[in-house]
This record gives sequence, structure tokens and C-alpha cells, in this order.
Amino acid sequence: MKTRNKLAGMLSALVLAAVGALMLSRNVSAAGEGKITGTVKLAGTAPHQRAIDMSKEPYCQKLHADHPVTLENVVVGSNGGLQNVVVYVSEGLPASAGGQVPSEKPKWDQKGCQYIPHVVALDINQHFLVTNSDPTSHNIHPIPTKNPQWNKSQPPGAQPFDVSWANEEVSIPVKCNIHPWMHGWMAVVKGPTAVSDGNGSFTLDNVPPGNYTLTAWQETYGAQTQKVTVAAGKPATADFTFKAK
Amino acid sequence: MPTIHKTTFLSMLLLSLGLGVAVAQNGGASSGFPTPKNDFTASEQRGHGLYLRYCVGCHGVLGDGEGENAPYIDPRPRNFILATFRCRSTSTGTLPTDQDLENSLERGLVNSNMPSWRPTTPYDRKDLVAYIKTFSPRWKTEKPGTPIEIPAEPEVTPERVKAGEALFQKLECWKCHGVEGRGNGPSADTLTDDQNRPIQAFNFHDGTRFKCGSTDRDLYKIFMTGLDGSPMPSFADNVKPDEAWDLVFYLRTLQPMKTKAKLIAKQLGLKPINPAGAPAQPPANPENK
Amino acid sequence: MASRFPRSVWAAILLAFVVVGSLRNAAAIPAFARKYGLPCSACHEAWPKLNSFGQTFKDTGYQLMNDRDEPIWQNPSYWPVSMRITPHWHYESAGRQTVDSIPNDPTSPPIEKTINTSGFDLTGIDILTGGTLAKNISFLLVPSISSADGTVGFESANVRLDNIHGSPWLNLKFGKFELDGPVSEKRIMALSGVGGAYQLYHFVPGGDVNDFTFGENQLGVELMGHSLDDHTRYALSMVSSTNGNLGLVGGRSYDGYIHVSQGFMAGKLGLQRVGAYFFSGFRPTFFLTTTVGGVSTPLPGTGQGNRSFYRAGAYASIYLGRFDVTGVYQRASDNVFLANGVAANNGGGLPIGAQGVRWDTGTIEAHYTYSPKLFFLTRYELARITRQSVAGFAPSDLGDADVITVGYRYYPFMHSRAGLAWHQEFATELTKHTSDTGLDQRTSSYFMGFDFAF
Repeated sequence: MKTRNKLAGMLSALVLAAVGALMLSRNVSAAGEGKITGTVKLAGTAPHQRAIDMSKEPYCQKLHADHPVTLENVVVGSNGGLQNVVVYVSEGLPASAGGQVPSEKPKWDQKGCQYIPHVVALDINQHFLVTNSDPTSHNIHPIPTKNPQWNKSQPPGAQPFDVSWANEEVSIPVKCNIHPWMHGWMAVVKGPTAVSDGNGSFTLDNVPPGNYTLTAWQETYGAQTQKVTVAAGKPATADFTFKAK
Repeated sequence: MPTIHKTTFLSMLLLSLGLGVAVAQNGGASSGFPTPKNDFTASEQRGHGLYLRYCVGCHGVLGDGEGENAPYIDPRPRNFILATFRCRSTSTGTLPTDQDLENSLERGLVNSNMPSWRPTTPYDRKDLVAYIKTFSPRWKTEKPGTPIEIPAEPEVTPERVKAGEALFQKLECWKCHGVEGRGNGPSADTLTDDQNRPIQAFNFHDGTRFKCGSTDRDLYKIFMTGLDGSPMPSFADNVKPDEAWDLVFYLRTLQPMKTKAKLIAKQLGLKPINPAGAPAQPPANPENK
Repeated sequence: MASRFPRSVWAAILLAFVVVGSLRNAAAIPAFARKYGLPCSACHEAWPKLNSFGQTFKDTGYQLMNDRDEPIWQNPSYWPVSMRITPHWHYESAGRQTVDSIPNDPTSPPIEKTINTSGFDLTGIDILTGGTLAKNISFLLVPSISSADGTVGFESANVRLDNIHGSPWLNLKFGKFELDGPVSEKRIMALSGVGGAYQLYHFVPGGDVNDFTFGENQLGVELMGHSLDDHTRYALSMVSSTNGNLGLVGGRSYDGYIHVSQGFMAGKLGLQRVGAYFFSGFRPTFFLTTTVGGVSTPLPGTGQGNRSFYRAGAYASIYLGRFDVTGVYQRASDNVFLANGVAANNGGGLPIGAQGVRWDTGTIEAHYTYSPKLFFLTRYELARITRQSVAGFAPSDLGDADVITVGYRYYPFMHSRAGLAWHQEFATELTKHTSDTGLDQRTSSYFMGFDFAF
């Protein structure tokens, strides 16, 4: 029993890391383009993230018996870095930029009755894969306001759904009606975007030199903006700090 | 008789004076008068008048489902701006066809305040649908989805009923609808709609018709297209068109009505499914290895 | 003298019209609007006139059949009570009325004079309660307070078992209710003294003692049914021969009524309807009496010597978009004893040439619904006596009447809580040879006021 749990834990960590890596590297391409790096921090004490009761789904409850899963509304790393913040260029991109839809397909996995990742950032019309790694059915139910709402059942072992969003929207809440604690966000933006990692750091690739407005969006604290200038061949930096309420 | 002429004359004068004031009071778009709007087609224009006559109390002037009675109604009236509709013949996430919307108007929506508008004329309903579609920009940028293919209804057989039962278990319909289809599954009490309002899972045992019709084809459509905006998902990705009929037949056995499927269930001695029989191990999914 | 009836009889009939008109009761029930959240216009073309959605709602037993009909769905503080009254100003002109040439001088010779009256006034108030007691059991209770003397009457009081055996074809109503007529007088769109009642339902030749009034609500049972789309309708009623009066004061017989109609869609024009109806019944012509001190007193409820009468009619309702017109033709006939007011056990009391009276009425009413907020109406009615109660005695057109009504209603707002209408109307009636000197009489009404219901 214990070994299995450990195995599952390791597996999820692996997947998390893999997905994180995918997300951060997904825009690497055309040489000569600039990048924006930075960190998102939380000032103050993060609100308590209460443990989730998964007793309605015995499989998931057993899976997390040793380390109960908590809410993910505010996830702070050991260094005060704020995870799961969507950073994107909200103003200043030339019309020609962002025309190319990234070809990588991020994965949105339903595993252990959690969404992994909790937040995904996507380009308009960028395809992503919805998978179910659990031996139980999930229904994936994004509730957008600027895109069509849909709701599909995904039984165990089902083929992944290959889907995309056509309109900009930060952010689309996603829920599973069968497991009401399952909650995640999909941010759909035009152009370079990233989600901050466990240390709160992010990297936006493929940003041509120019003056931009950068927006950071966090599900609990909302959005912040700042101006940033990207010079040719030199990475710009932009740090954000959210205040704990 | 001069008196009569005087009476008549004075009455008519007063009548026209009053009418003049009444008509003058009625300028403006909020008057409820069918004020012509240039960018409306004739049908939309007529639909607009009918909408003000019939629909505005619940769905509101803006079509946002915030009419004057909306706060007192549960489930809340549909918000036409989002263009999310429960009853469709098209797959989840797509716009319904005009016919779908006209059918909903004619049928009314069971377990809600939406009555059947059958007493209006089919032309009225067409015009109303045309007008309702002006509320959301989606109707300008997207085409309605294509109705899903529904194969001809096969004969009910014990094999099909049993296959349907297996689907009911495998797809975990019982998580919400309960093992006996009473709408009391383990997840039933936490269900919410897209506005985060509590919503009930359908109870097959009370014999009411379904939200989107009462025929076998309607039932087929409900789980193959999903009821967008509600927790009911589409199963089209994981149920083959022919298999779907098996599920239809099994669901019929949960209802009190005397159907052939029900008779077969009796002969088979069908018992409520056992959820503990669900697989406990993660399936062999190559993506996870 | 052109007629053998005293002129006062005719005057009384005219007066009765005016009174009946001002006492009209109508059903526009904001309590229903509040219950379902629908604006008045959902059920009413323009209230109180029903549209086909409202008619279906009524025919299914005040139910929308949307699972929100039972009282259990209502907040307990909801009471299905509405009231309606119409403060107004009106002007009445009654032509060729007989008055003393010198007031208070009984010896002065009578002359005929037009009497004009005008002023502010109220109609009677209706308290309308109705709805469902349970799924498929509905009720209507309408106490009505008279504007004339403040007495309370029971306009309607009935319970109805709806959709018996789940079939819209079987609905049973029990109590006091409006007969399912070709046009509803409770929903009449005219309010004035002359225009506020249908000749069709109220016209009776002078001297006729039959008290049956189609427009009055009757006491009895009604079996009513309709197709799911309400296009085909039937109603069968059996009512006591008391014209809706309580306390069993009349005879013991029953009247029967049948009404069938069929609606059909005529393309974009709307729902058209044709129908026919027949009412037949008896009225007692005398009562058992008891004599004390030389005075014979009739005993209530002991009506004897029943004599028959009937009303038979056909109608059509045509919709042309916002314009609609309804035409009703009706033939009426009363037995000779009723027509002449003679007890049936006193055959010798009939005048020479006495015969059953028969008359036809024609009604054409047209509406133009510009929008749910502005409504125009015009109506032309005629009543023609085709057989006078005494042959060859009076001019054949004695008592014939022609009525023209025009008006409009303006509803400044349209929502689901209450209704308000500004009402203006003019109606004029001409009756043949009815003045004391045998000349025609013209009666006109002008009416304006606020009609409101909450």
C-alpha cells in the first residue's frame, strides 16, 4: 500500500515537473527575439489552504491518505514565490506578433482527483490535451464567458480530448461536477505567456524588442500590470508582488 | 337631435385628445412599442415585439436572464447573452439549431418556470428565436453545430438492456443519478450549474418527462450532446452511436412507465447496479507510463 | 299608444343596462402574473381580453403545466388575491324620458326630455382570488362589492377538477361560474353604461319576465374539454334555473348548455375560431302561495308552470395579425307565457294574439392591438325582434336596438405585478318606438377613467 502511494506521489511529481518544463519552454523558437524573466512574490502571510475531503471518491481519498490535498487558491513556495500566476503581454505587441500558434500541446491531466496543472496558459487556438489518469470518470466542464461552454464526460482509459479556445479570456474556470473540489483555470491570451513555477519565477520567450505592458493574473488576488522595455539581445526583467489580503 | 350631436361631438373630441396624449407618452424604445430598428430583420423586429409581450418578465430587456422576476425563480431564467443552451441536437459547446430553440419554446422546460408556448403560432416562435439570437455576438461569428447522427432505433433486446446497464456502471452515471436512477448519487448534493447555483440530478423514478423532451430520441440526444450549462456532460466521445441506444433502453427500465424495456428488465430480474464493482486500479493508460 | 306595455317597463330596461354596465365584473388577475412572473401581456392581448396563451392557461385550470403550478411552489406569503376597480368620469345622456313639465306638480302634463347626467364615479370593486389548491385542482372565488349599495355578492365561486385521468378532454367545474360563451362579458373591453354589456347577453323584449341573463354567472356544473393545443374545445353545463341567484328562490328545474368550437391556424395571420352554442331551459311562471289576511305571498323555491326558452348562436373569430374581428349571430326565443308575463295556469290571461317572442342579435366587435400597451375597439350590435309577443298589435320593430361602441385602452406600463389602463369610450344606443309617445330613444354614454388591477 505504502509503496504504491509513494510511487503515485513520485509519479505525480514527475508529471508536474514535466508539464512545468513543457510550459516554460514552449515558446522557445525564433532566434534573436528577446525574453522577459521575473519572479512573482507574495507579501504577507498566505491564507490557510484547507485540506480537501475526498471521501466521496474512495480511490482518490486513499491515494492522498498520507498527504491530504489542499486547496490551491494561493500556492507559495519556500522562498515566498507565488505559484500559478499567469504572466502575459497585455499591450504593445505588434500586430504581426503572436500570429503563430504554438505547436506544442500542453497536457491538462485529471489525476488523483486534481487538475494537473492547476493553471494553464494557452495561446488563442493553441491545442491542448485533456487526459484522465484516474480509474474513475471525470466530467470536464470549463465555464467561459467569451468562449463556448462545453461539458464532456471522460471515463477511465478514454482517449485524450484535443481541444482549443478561439477567444482571449483570462481566465476560464474549469470544474468537475462529479468531484466538486476539482477546480482549475485556463488562461487564453494572444502572444507570449507563462505560468509562474514553484519558486514564483517565469520566463516569457519570443518577445520582440519594444515597450510592453505586462499583466500578472492570480486567481485569488486578481491582475497587476507593469511597463517593461525589451532591448534587442538582452533579457528584460519584471518582478511582481501581490499583497496577501 | 342637437343634444345627441353635441354629446357625440364632445365625446369624440375628448376621445381623440386623450388618445393623442397617450400616443405622445409612448416615444422611446423602452415604451414597449415596436419601434423600428434599422439593423433588425422583419422577423427579428416582430420577435422583439413578441419578446416584450411574453418573455421580458423573466429573461429581461437585455436578454441577460435578469428580468424583474428572475430573483424569485429557480432555476434562474436563461441568459441569452452567453448563448449556452441546454437542449440541443448539436454536440456540446456548439450553438443549437433554430429548430432546437423552437422545440424548447414549444415544449417548455420541465422542472423550471419556463412554460410551454404551444398556444403561440409557429411563426411567432420562429420570430422569437430570430430575436433571441440577436443578444449574443456568437450567432454572428459562429454557425450552429450540425445535429448529431442518430442511427435508427433498434429493437429492444435483453442483450441491449444488459449492455446499457454495463454502460450505466462504466460511465458512472450513478455518481449523480444514483444506482437506481433516483437522482441521489454520491455527487448529487454538490451539483451546481454554470452560475454556481445548486441543481438537482434527474430522478428517473418520478416519471416526469426529461428536460429536453420525452421520446427515446430525446433521451439519446440528452446524454450524447450534454445539457450545456448544467453538470450533465456529453458522452459522445466515449459512447458509440449504436451503444447509446443500449443506454437509452436501460434508462427506460428505471422509469415507472410500462415500456418494453421495463418488461425485459423484469424478466431478466435486473437489480440496481453495484458501484463497488467499479475498477479500483488505474487503467492501463500508455500516457502515464 | 303604440305599445301595450307601460313606458316605464322600457325605461326600467334601459336603466337596467346602465346599472349592469357599471357593475361589470372582469377577470384580469395580477395574482397570476405575480405567481408566474409573466407580464400581463403574456396572457392578455390587452387585459382583460385573453390571447390564446391565456385561454389555454385558463382551460388547463389556471396552470401553465410547467411543474410550478402547485401552491407548494409559492412562497407562503403569496396570496392569490387581486382586485380591480375603475375610478372614472362619465356622462350619460338618455333621450325622450318622460318627466313632469313642472317638477313636483303631479297635475302638470308629462313631457319628453333628454336627461343628461355627468360626474365622477366608481365601478363596483372585484376581489379576484384564483389559482390551484393542488395539482389539477383549481378554484376561482370572486366576491364583488356593488358600487350602488355596497352589498357583497358572489360573482364566482367554483372549484374545478382539471385534466381528469390526465386528459385535457375532461375537466369538471362545480359552483358558480361564467358560462363558456362565444365572447366573455367578464372580459368585455368596454366599460360605459351603454357599451359595457353585450346586447347579445342582456337584450330582452319589453314585458318578457324571463330572468335568464347569459352574461350572469350561473350555478351548476360544467364539463369542459379541449385538445392539447386548445384548438378544439367543448363545454357542457347544467345549471339551476335561478340565473345565479343564491338561496333556491326560483324553480327547481335545470338548464342545459352546450358549446363547441374549433380553432385553426391560418398561416401567419394567427388562430381563427368558429363555434356554435345552444342554451335551453325553463323558467317558472308562478309560485305556490300562502294567503294571510287576504294577501297572497309566493313561497320562494316553489316555482311552477315551467315554460321553455332557448338561445342558439354561431360565431367566428378572425385574426389578421394585430387586427381581429368577432361576429356572433344569436337567435333567442321565449315561450308565450314568459313573453307576456302570464302564469301558465291562467291560459285565459294571455292577450288575444299572444305568441312566443323571438329575436335575433348580431354582434360585430373589432379590435386593433397596436401593441400590448395600446388597444382600440369598436363594436356594432343590433337586436331585432322577429316575432313580437302579441301579433299585430305593436309596430313590428318595437324595441329593436342598435348600439355602437368605440374606445381605446392605453396601458402606460406592462409588467407582472399590477395593471393600469387609461380607458376612454363612447357608446350610443337607439331603441325603436320605446318612448312613452312611441318615438325612438337614444341613450349615449361617454366614459373615461383609470382601470387598475393589483
